[in-house]
Amino acid sequence: MSTQTETSPPTADLDGGLELYRRMKLIRRFEDTIQSLFMKGEVHGTTHLYSGEEAVAVGVSSVLGDQDRVAGTYRGHGHALSLGVDPQALLDEMLGRATGVCGGRSGSMNVIDLEHRLIGCFGIIGGSIAAATGASIALQRTGGVAVAFFGDGTTNQGYFHECLNFAAVRKLPVVYVCENNLYGEFTPWEDVTAGQIRSRPEALEIPAQTIDGNDVWTVREAAAAAVARARAGEGPSFIEALTYRFVGHSRSDPGAYRKPGELDAWKERDPLKLARATLVERFGAEEAAIDRVDAEVEAQIETMIERGLAAPYPAPGPVREFKD
Amino acid sequence: MPRLSDSMEEGTIVRWLVEDGAEVEVGTELVEIETDKATMPYESDVAGVVHIGAQAGDVLPVGAEIGQVLPAGETPAPAPAPAPVAAAVANGGGTALLERPETATRVKASPVARRLAAELGIDLATLVGSGPAGRVVKRDVEQAVATPEPAPEPQPVAAGGERGDTQVVELSRIQQTIARRMADAKSAMPEFTVTTDVDMDAAVALRAQLKAAAADGDPVPSYNDLVVKAAALALRAHPKANGSYRDGRFELYERINVGVAVAAEDALLVPTVFDADGRSLGAIAAETRRLAAAGREGRLTPADLSGGTFSVSNLGMFGVTQFTAVLNPPQAAILAVGALEQRAVVRDGAVVPGHRMTLTLTCDHRILYGADAAAFLADIRAALEQPLRLAL
Amino acid sequence: MPTLEFRHAVRDALDEELARDERVIFFGEDVAKPGGVFATTPGLYERHGEERVFDTPISELAIAGSAFGAAVCGLRPVIEIMFGDFLPLAMDSIVNQSAKYWYLSNEQASIPIVVRSAIGAGGNFGAIHSQNPISWFHNVPGLKIVAPSTPADAKALLKAAIRDDNPVLFFEHKRLYAMKEDVPDTIDAGRIGEAKVVREGADVTLVSAMKGVHDCLAAAELLAEAGVDAEVIDLRTIRPLDRDAILRSLARTNRLAVVEEGPVTGGWAGEVMAVAAEGALHDVDDLWRIACPDHPIPYSPPLEDAFLPGAEAIAASVRERLGVADRTLA
Repeated sequence: MSTQTETSPPTADLDGGLELYRRMKLIRRFEDTIQSLFMKGEVHGTTHLYSGEEAVAVGVSSVLGDQDRVAGTYRGHGHALSLGVDPQALLDEMLGRATGVCGGRSGSMNVIDLEHRLIGCFGIIGGSIAAATGASIALQRTGGVAVAFFGDGTTNQGYFHECLNFAAVRKLPVVYVCENNLYGEFTPWEDVTAGQIRSRPEALEIPAQTIDGNDVWTVREAAAAAVARARAGEGPSFIEALTYRFVGHSRSDPGAYRKPGELDAWKERDPLKLARATLVERFGAEEAAIDRVDAEVEAQIETMIERGLAAPYPAPGPVREFKD
Repeated sequence: MPRLSDSMEEGTIVRWLVEDGAEVEVGTELVEIETDKATMPYESDVAGVVHIGAQAGDVLPVGAEIGQVLPAGETPAPAPAPAPVAAAVANGGGTALLERPETATRVKASPVARRLAAELGIDLATLVGSGPAGRVVKRDVEQAVATPEPAPEPQPVAAGGERGDTQVVELSRIQQTIARRMADAKSAMPEFTVTTDVDMDAAVALRAQLKAAAADGDPVPSYNDLVVKAAALALRAHPKANGSYRDGRFELYERINVGVAVAAEDALLVPTVFDADGRSLGAIAAETRRLAAAGREGRLTPADLSGGTFSVSNLGMFGVTQFTAVLNPPQAAILAVGALEQRAVVRDGAVVPGHRMTLTLTCDHRILYGADAAAFLADIRAALEQPLRLAL
Repeated sequence: MPTLEFRHAVRDALDEELARDERVIFFGEDVAKPGGVFATTPGLYERHGEERVFDTPISELAIAGSAFGAAVCGLRPVIEIMFGDFLPLAMDSIVNQSAKYWYLSNEQASIPIVVRSAIGAGGNFGAIHSQNPISWFHNVPGLKIVAPSTPADAKALLKAAIRDDNPVLFFEHKRLYAMKEDVPDTIDAGRIGEAKVVREGADVTLVSAMKGVHDCLAAAELLAEAGVDAEVIDLRTIRPLDRDAILRSLARTNRLAVVEEGPVTGGWAGEVMAVAAEGALHDVDDLWRIACPDHPIPYSPPLEDAFLPGAEAIAASVRERLGVADRTLA
């Protein structure tokens, strides 16, 4: 999968737009697949699905270059796929196979793929913020930028407060992307958060904005500006992307805490639906072309499932505790 | 039954939301299932015709079939019969249970003390522990061997009785050990003995020569030294006589270490001549002198007393012509040597005087059999009757 | 031979490694411009500049977390957590991020960070500025724990820690900062995981680290007067333990006492005992530990003195276990 290296605001571009759509579609179908495989007992433990939030990961990652780095969350399949992590290897990791990205060692919550710029996904919230803040210290030397994805609940965690201050003081090239999907696990964000989320970075004089996280072009624009600021040495930025998850927090959550009608209202604003409309209306795409992308992704997914279920499990064996 | 939550192990069918035979699409809610956490609808992930299996109220484990959604026209295959509960497999002929030796009273001792005591043949129960919690420690075992014990005070005499006054003497630690080991040998080791008379004329002649040739101060090999060397050489050809029966197995040792019984103060000790088969007669003589002196003076060390693979005991100096020694566990055999004396013997049909010495070999019948013992003893005799072999 | 003070050994090791490898950076609270609250790092900021050596806010979690992130991306960060007692504030990053990365990534990368921290009691700093945090981290796979007892070892092992590709906790006992020692002109990187017999003996082995080593040496002198010949082992690294050195000594003396400055229950001394008992039970005549009681460290000098296992206490414990009063052992 090619990576975009542009850092200027996106131009009207049909091919680029179709590519954005394809990536989001792949994430959606991947998450559907994980859900059904989980119910069949092939994916173990628990999973945190990104369905509904695709525009955020895809939009941000689409403006990053080879020298940039990303830290994701335990809801990180979307982050990983948006960076070009091999979908088969990611699926195999969920299935616990030896051919998984981490050989079956990390599972869903802790995926690491340095070859594709994913420095880690973190099972303990705030970890992505620490990782990206630290990465940006190293990336200062190469002109790279680090991105941290995290949720609304994380804005109350220790890592958030310590690292944002640290990055602001040292003017580090890092972009903090808060995916506010309105709920921290089962609790509405406003019940546990004093003030506005955006006010926190603003108090530290970090440039911050709240955007519609379901429109991938809006996300791209905000991300491009933040990345440009970082590369210019102006320090960290903060983006609060408003979005919504279509499935429960994790597999133990039927979502009974949602307000009535809320899910349906957000499904109207499904990022895939919005993207399709924009492609047709703004970029002159043909519905058939978009349908073709859907079919290609479908075929890709089917092959992946077949291969994944046939892949071998890792054999337990001696482990090197340390690198020599 | 789908896995609807990460901790779900079984679910209850609350009610079907479609009829049997109904046509459904991807996403149609089929059935309501109650899990450990909540009641949730389950959606179909394929399009087709529903064939209901399990009924409302059924409780089934995750993974069990509850129904099928098939393309129109297909008939459902019968649900696979639930796997029969595997009959409990009898654990026949399995691993033997851990053998628990009968512990009468277990002595508290450190591992090193235990090991050392076993090597030296000292009974831990005879020692007083000076370590933490009153356990026997290394120092206690070392002192039991090294320090000559003061003679125990005789108890006051009990007056009178058929046998006159009785004086009760408490045993020293060493004496207690000896008593226990002798009883062990006799009770645990099935023994038999073989006896032979050795023609010692050639040995007597050899010894006279050795005496004449010896420099001042050099010890002259005694007849017992000759026996030690002869036995050592014979042991090379009879490894079982150099071994032990232990825990249902033979242990055969590489080195030939011959123990030589010496009298110590009110005790019997058996220090070891290591690698006796490789030492010259002169070296053996020097060593047995040293060990005997140390034994008399109470200076034998734990190292001197350990590592023996075979023992020799000699009562000839007291005029005893033949006796049967008690085995020195865990050694397979012990050789009892009687006095060297002139006897009337038959040679070429005539009765003439000849030097004779009687050897009696006691054997552990679990490792040595009659023929083995006889052959071994015969080799010893042969070496003594052609004593120049001992110089090799 | 030049004389080297422990605190300067730390500074020199950092200085030389910063000069040697441009990927090395060093940060923490009050370490750069002020030169460290124990005066361990003066001059580094001036010599190597703001990009390589800098002061941070009081944010232990951010300090440890950004060291982790920087290490993932190729730098070799050394951080200072001012007092070992503050390490719980950084524990999530050290334990859940740095220690596990090599394994979880399926060996895509390791985390070459060094966490330096001043630890230990004896200075009347009180309960939360005097602890020895080794045992809190001892049970975490993927972490190395280094604990030198002399200036030469401090320099050699800090260099080794910085060059090590794995996360290393490097503990400096604050009562040793002023210690001086004659050392060679150059000190190379040492070897992590290697203990040292600092006094040979035949009757009992005393195993310890950091300040404890000096207490054991002093105890050995007292014991010599009672006819007990003590061998003293300086572990130098607590994780991984030099198992062979421990077992070799045990085979010689058959008696092992582990001296730990820390509460006795659950301390690392227990691990040394476990290694000895499990590996060489047949060589054990006696095996015990000498550590602190199970309560926090008091402030008042007589209370703190009684709390810590000093030379007198160590010697008394050995005499008692061996059943030696003032007479000789044999």
